Parts: sequence; C-alpha cells; structure tokens
Amino acid sequence: MQRIFNALLQFRNPILYFFLLGLSFSFTAKQSTFHEFNLQKYGFYFSSRLYAFKDAIGNYYNLKEINQQLLNENEQLKKNDLSLRSIPLYRLTNNQSKRFPFKVKKANILKNSYKNQRNFLVLDIGSENGVHPEMGVISNNGIVGVVHSVTKNYSNVISILNQDLKINVRTNKNPAFGSLVWSGKNPLEFKIEDIVSNVSLAKGDTIITGGMSSYFPLGIPIGKISKLEKMKGSGYYSVDATLFNDPSQIYYAYILENLDSQELKSLQKKISQ
Amino acid sequence: MNFFSLISILSFITLVFGQVVLFNHLQVFGSINPILYLLFFIFYRFESNQTLLILLSFLLGFLIDFLSQSGGAHTIASLTIGFLRPLIIRYSFGNTMELPQSYFSDSRTLNKLFFLVLLTVIHHLIYFTLIYFSLDAILLITKNTIFTSLFSLILMVITLNFYPNRK
Repeated sequence: MQRIFNALLQFRNPILYFFLLGLSFSFTAKQSTFHEFNLQKYGFYFSSRLYAFKDAIGNYYNLKEINQQLLNENEQLKKNDLSLRSIPLYRLTNNQSKRFPFKVKKANILKNSYKNQRNFLVLDIGSENGVHPEMGVISNNGIVGVVHSVTKNYSNVISILNQDLKINVRTNKNPAFGSLVWSGKNPLEFKIEDIVSNVSLAKGDTIITGGMSSYFPLGIPIGKISKLEKMKGSGYYSVDATLFNDPSQIYYAYILENLDSQELKSLQKKISQ
Repeated sequence: MNFFSLISILSFITLVFGQVVLFNHLQVFGSINPILYLLFFIFYRFESNQTLLILLSFLLGFLIDFLSQSGGAHTIASLTIGFLRPLIIRYSFGNTMELPQSYFSDSRTLNKLFFLVLLTVIHHLIYFTLIYFSLDAILLITKNTIFTSLFSLILMVITLNFYPNRK
C-alpha cells in the first residue's frame, strides 16, 4: 500500500496533468458541437481500430463456437428453404397452406469415402439424437445419401456415390421424373434413368428431387443436365447430369426427418397386404 | 507570503483580466490576438512547486476560457505548458548548468529568448490546433501560430523590459 502511495506521489504531476486534460477536453466538447463532433470522430477512429484488432484476435479463438452457431442457424434456414422450395411446386389452389413434414438435424461427417463403387459415410449423431434408418441426408448444396443403420451415437449413411442408391428426381421445368444413379467414375458425374423421350428436356436444366420418396422433400436442387440424347429403339432419354457440389468434399450434412414416414409406411403396408 | 508569491498572485489576476478585457480584442491586422497570459509562466519561479503550477495553469486557462466564452482551448494549451515547463526550462537553460532560480536571475539573453520562443510557439500551436481541430486546417493553424507567436513575443519582450532584473 505504501508503495502505491509512493508511486502516486512520485507521478503526481503527470497524473494531475492528464486528469485536468481530460476535464478540459470534456469542457471543450460541452462548449462547442463542432469540437464534440470532431472528438467523437477521432475517438471513433481509434476505438474502431482497437475493436478491429480485438475482434481479429477474438474471432480466431471463437471460431469453433461461431461455427457451431452458424450450423444451428443453417439448420433453421435449411428447413425454411426446403419448405419454401417445395410449396410453389405443389401448385395448391385456394391458398391452402401446405404442411411441410420435414425436420432438419445437423451432423458432422466423420468418414467419407468415394473410391469404391459402393460408398458409405459415417455421421456423428445417432439414435440418441433421433436418427433412424431411411432418413434422407443433404448437404448445403445437394443431397448426400440415405441413412442405412444407426448406433447410439453414430449413423451409417449410404452415399449418393453408391450404385445401389437410386434417387427420384425431376427437372425444375418439367414434372417428368426419373432416377438418379451414380455412374461410378467421377464423383460429379451421374446418370438419370427412365425418363421417357416424349417430354421436352434441355441441356442445362436444373435437376431437383422429385418428392416421390419419403426421404427427400420436393425441390432440393442437385445438379444440371450436361448431356442429353434420345436412345434409338427405346422410348427413353439417356441423360448425363453434373452435380452442383462434390459429395466427396463435404464436412457437414443435414439429416431430414420425415414426420410422416410412419404414416406413409403403414399406408404402403396396407396396399401390399 | 514572500515577495515572489505576491508577484505571482498579482500577475495571475492582472493577466487574466488583461487577456480577457484587452488582448482578446486587439485584433492586429484584422485577426491576430496576442496571448499575453504566458507571462505568468515566466513570473512563476523556476524552483517553486510544480504540482501547484499545474493546478494554477489549469485555473488560469479555465478562467480565461470562462470569461471570454471560448471553448477549452486556452485551458488545454495553458495546462500543457504548465506541465511541460520544467522540460522547456531544462532545454533552453542547459541541462548541465545549475538552473537559475527564476527567469530574471539569469543573464544570458539568447537562452532567455529561446525560452520565450519555445514557450510561446508550443502554446500557440496547441491553442490553434484546438481552435481549428481538423486535419484540413493545417495550413491555417501554421499561419496563425507563426504570426500570433510573433506578436505575442514582441509584446511579451516589451512587457518584460519594465521589470527590474531582481536577483
């Protein structure tokens, strides 16, 4: 304590000076709005520099947290986006509001393979977070696959890069549907089978999910038509498609939970009985 | 209370009123108002209490600002000069020599003049910087500093010649 007093006494002149200087600056600011404005301007300049510096440091340490926040936000946005995309395509009459039966869960991709002909992914959430088999998995710009099996904390996903998985798709202009299958070489190159050749398609049309399965809602954009040919002798198109983003280069995914899947299943059971 | 304290108090009061009533309205060549209260920093003895000088310089500037309804420019400039005075004294009268007791006890004319010039120019620079308070007005600040300093200096030297050289 004595030392503090000694130091204060030793530096009493500078302390007094800066105290009075601050006081006089506040008088100046009170007296004239011009000075007040300019003082605020300079003050803002310095404080903004300071905050920018602090922010640059803080940002780096907060990256993980911010990432998490962004993912949470994306989860919400993704849901809104999906419901918005599908509503205009359903063409409802009488301004009925359409139910959107999908919920979105975010997940990190732990393992992603693309070298085999039948690839699987591992996600870091499982049955404890409400993941069940046969849920659709999408990424920020396209689809990833369908959940195959789940454990308590992890889930196994059949990748879209798997020649056994066929996904119901259509173009954004024409409701004719086909199934999207991986051609097995480049992770971006896909084939669309079973589109009858009497519908009008064009190169460059956007391919969206068809909404005929319980995995994906209608209207998730997947890719573009890159090559279009009418096969001779059969009534089908041969369509090559390119994906918007590479399924081998994604690190986050969103799992779509179809709230009506039980209902749909029971309905299908009734039909098969 | 000795002779020097009396001189200080009297000069303080005289300079405040002189500045407010007379010198702020002089307007040499239309715009130049010499600043004469700097004489206080010369009358105040070099060996006297520095903390008291800071307080007094604040009070001096504040009174002048208050009475002439200017912003805080006089206060800040005068306060800064009060704070910097020991440095200016050491710089102008020599670091190695024994410092004189007051401005009047020294006989070296050049050093005394240098002391006056330094005091005036620093004060005026701070004063005009605060008056204009903008980076765009650098030319105006410099011009005003130079011309007003010149007139302040002339008037100060004239005033100082009326004082006897008391040891």
